[in-house]
Amino acid sequence: MSGTARARRPLKQGYFTVPENPAEPPKLMGTVCKDCGEYFFPKRVVCAKCLSENTADAMLGPQGTLYSYTFVHFPLFGSTKVEHSTGYGVGQVDLPEGPRVQVPLAGKQEDFKVGMPLVAELDPIREDGDKDVVILRFAPVAGGAK
Amino acid sequence: MSILKNGREVAILGVGMHRFGLWPDSTNADMSRVAGLAALKDAGLSFKDVDAAYVGQIFAPVMAGVRVMKEFGLTGLPVQRLDNASATGSACLYEAVGSVASGRYDVAMVLGFDKMTGIVADSSANTDPANLEDAILPAAFFAMWATRRMHERGTKPEHLAKIAAKNWHNGGLNPMAQRQPDKPVPIEKVLSSRMVAWPMTTMMSCPIGDGAACAIVGPVELAKKLNPGRPIVKVVASALQSERYDRGHLFMGPVVGPGRMTVDTSAVCYEQAGLGPKDIDLVQVHDAFAIEELEYYELLGICGKGEAEACIDRGDFELGGRVPFSTDGGLIARGHPGGPTGLAQIWETTLQLRGEAGKRQVANARNGICHMMGGGSVCVMHILQKG
Ligand SMILES: [Zn+2]
Repeated sequence: MSGTARARRPLKQGYFTVPENPAEPPKLMGTVCKDCGEYFFPKRVVCAKCLSENTADAMLGPQGTLYSYTFVHFPLFGSTKVEHSTGYGVGQVDLPEGPRVQVPLAGKQEDFKVGMPLVAELDPIREDGDKDVVILRFAPVAGGAK
Repeated sequence: MSILKNGREVAILGVGMHRFGLWPDSTNADMSRVAGLAALKDAGLSFKDVDAAYVGQIFAPVMAGVRVMKEFGLTGLPVQRLDNASATGSACLYEAVGSVASGRYDVAMVLGFDKMTGIVADSSANTDPANLEDAILPAAFFAMWATRRMHERGTKPEHLAKIAAKNWHNGGLNPMAQRQPDKPVPIEKVLSSRMVAWPMTTMMSCPIGDGAACAIVGPVELAKKLNPGRPIVKVVASALQSERYDRGHLFMGPVVGPGRMTVDTSAVCYEQAGLGPKDIDLVQVHDAFAIEELEYYELLGICGKGEAEACIDRGDFELGGRVPFSTDGGLIARGHPGGPTGLAQIWETTLQLRGEAGKRQVANARNGICHMMGGGSVCVMHILQKG
């Protein structure tokens, strides 16, 4: 961890990891059903597929595939970042384990293409004392389809 | 045929509306009184004849349902308040139809009302800064339906604009519509209106508004007695379903569940009614955004998979087309205050089946679908039939 990196905290606990190392991508905190093997995001107690309660925490991602996207022409709610004031990308992302998640995307509308590979990252949206408040978003994989 | 095994046949006895719009000086009680008294008068009934009331509203505070009902008098009747997001009015009708079919009540009043002015000042109202889901607007969710459709079927923003322009046009023919343009709305204007979430513009989206709508339901035998000579409007199908799990299900952020909900709910309705998509003469759907209406053409089976764009270009869903959709302007033009929206669809379809829809009249209308999605989510669908 570099000496200049600011501490980070998630906007909401229990949805994604905030690794100590800023270069390490976050993972999504989900659930796996130990009876039928289905994965879910976010966490749940009862399996939505087979109704079993024999479930456990599971880390998902950080890779994903873009199922669909849009670019919202409104400021991102709760963000003080200038780049969010004119709008932000949103995508539905398929995780390799099965769940589909709806999350903000890094980049401009022309950067997105259905089916492109993505990776999760943490995006600071405002400051809280000496910490950056971060949300989870997905970004095009460097050198990926553009 | 009843929607229940060994049940009674149910009819829409009367309908009434307070025009949807921005009415800062009218209360929920004012608008409800107008809609409710109009429906009673249309049915030829007095409030004394009403055995039970199902009241739907989303935005008004707790107790508002039973309080508003006092506008009609205090007769001691059972009053239940119900909320199922956008499908609230439709969900109330579902309960009322079931209660009349089962014989529990003879005459049930179904009332929906809501006031969004002053509550939803902007798109971020009622949001919690710590909620991840608040970052995604409903418009963005449906815009992603559009992006996916464009990827799979080559749909163009012009197709969405044509649907919106059609619904704006139909709104202009409906005295109860919120948006009543006095001249045709060109598709260029729809495309160049403010972008909300690409490719969806404001004119492809429903407005916020206020309003009330009411339907009175009862046994078919009573309908025959009350208004001899007037066509009877039967409720031949009534279904409500919540989401079923399939891989790839979105648990956070979506407004409504997958398209399968409409397929499954319509299958139940077609079965109940003994009808198929080919028998349907007109359709009202949850067109909060134009892409939704496009998807529902196919999900309801009114056109084949992948055929929606060609059908739009042919004008199949316009007034005078093969199967007109959103004949009263839909959510986009008639408006979508919340609680009363599904009952506005019943108002429209009832008038159409009686041949009382004026300039919007669909020729020889016999079977009409009313379809709503309620966030969370549920799909509610009814089929009305001219008896
Ligand atoms: Zn399971």
